[in-house]
Amino acid sequence: MNPEHFLQLDRVIHEKGRLAIMSMLAASPELSFTELRDALAMTDGNLTTHIRALQQEGYLAVAKSYQHNRPLTTCSLTAAGRKAFAEYINLLEQIVRQNRSK
Amino acid sequence: MNPNWAEENLQTIRTLMERSAVYRRALAPIMLFAGTVGVLAAAIGLILHWDSSRAFGALWLGTAVIAVAGAFFITRRQALKDNEPFWSPPTRRVTLALLPPLTAGMVLGVILALLPMGGVVDFTLLLPFLWALFYGCALHAAGFFMPRGVKWFGWIYVGSACGILCFLTAIQPQIEISAHWLMGFFFGVLHLAYGAYLYLTEKGKIAA
Repeated sequence: MNPEHFLQLDRVIHEKGRLAIMSMLAASPELSFTELRDALAMTDGNLTTHIRALQQEGYLAVAKSYQHNRPLTTCSLTAAGRKAFAEYINLLEQIVRQNRSK
Repeated sequence: MNPNWAEENLQTIRTLMERSAVYRRALAPIMLFAGTVGVLAAAIGLILHWDSSRAFGALWLGTAVIAVAGAFFITRRQALKDNEPFWSPPTRRVTLALLPPLTAGMVLGVILALLPMGGVVDFTLLLPFLWALFYGCALHAAGFFMPRGVKWFGWIYVGSACGILCFLTAIQPQIEISAHWLMGFFFGVLHLAYGAYLYLTEKGKIAA
């Protein structure tokens, strides 16, 4: 495997939990905290930590509102997040192609 | 490190994205089913000359019920097969997006075709265009939570309904066409074409 490709992989996205969050949000305009938590079977604390890390990197936007008098937290990918995710996928595909050609 | 880790990661990402979107793999059979039902209904209407507004309305509203029930069955079967919940958040979002335009189209259809209007105006020829427009809007709204192609499919309905309506009213008003032909095109041929496109492209992706 070409180590250059591996080193280019975004460290923030490459973590298993954060990659799952990014994948879910890449296919949907927005998802609530509860939807993400239930779909990925994560604990509240774990999900919060990953969301914060992605938010700090500018990949994820968090909006807080109220629905039926209950607080609702929704997450969505930012433009930078979509770009970083697309680049991550491209790199993975390059690695797969490289492995297959060997 | 497992040499296939990148491939496995890509597969996991694909699975998660499919779970987050709505039964992508069920879309092709749903479109093919709806298209087949649409073509059959158009053939029945044309062969049996069900041209009165009531017969037309009853045939096509009945067809819509069969198409929706079939889509429900196919989606549920796919969910069971993939071990996923049927009434998932994305399914709920899609249903909510589809509901207003589809309800408006159905109510309008019942009012214009089935309820007695005193026979003043026959709306039969107008209904295919109205239904296609509402359906196009419904697909476009649902497209925000589905594969990108669904939005374009919605635009095709809106564009072709406006285009054909313009052609028949402004450019060639002397052409007489049965409303069943229009319905067969909008809800039979277009569904079959999109279903075939999805089937062929998805098959390619699975093979890759």
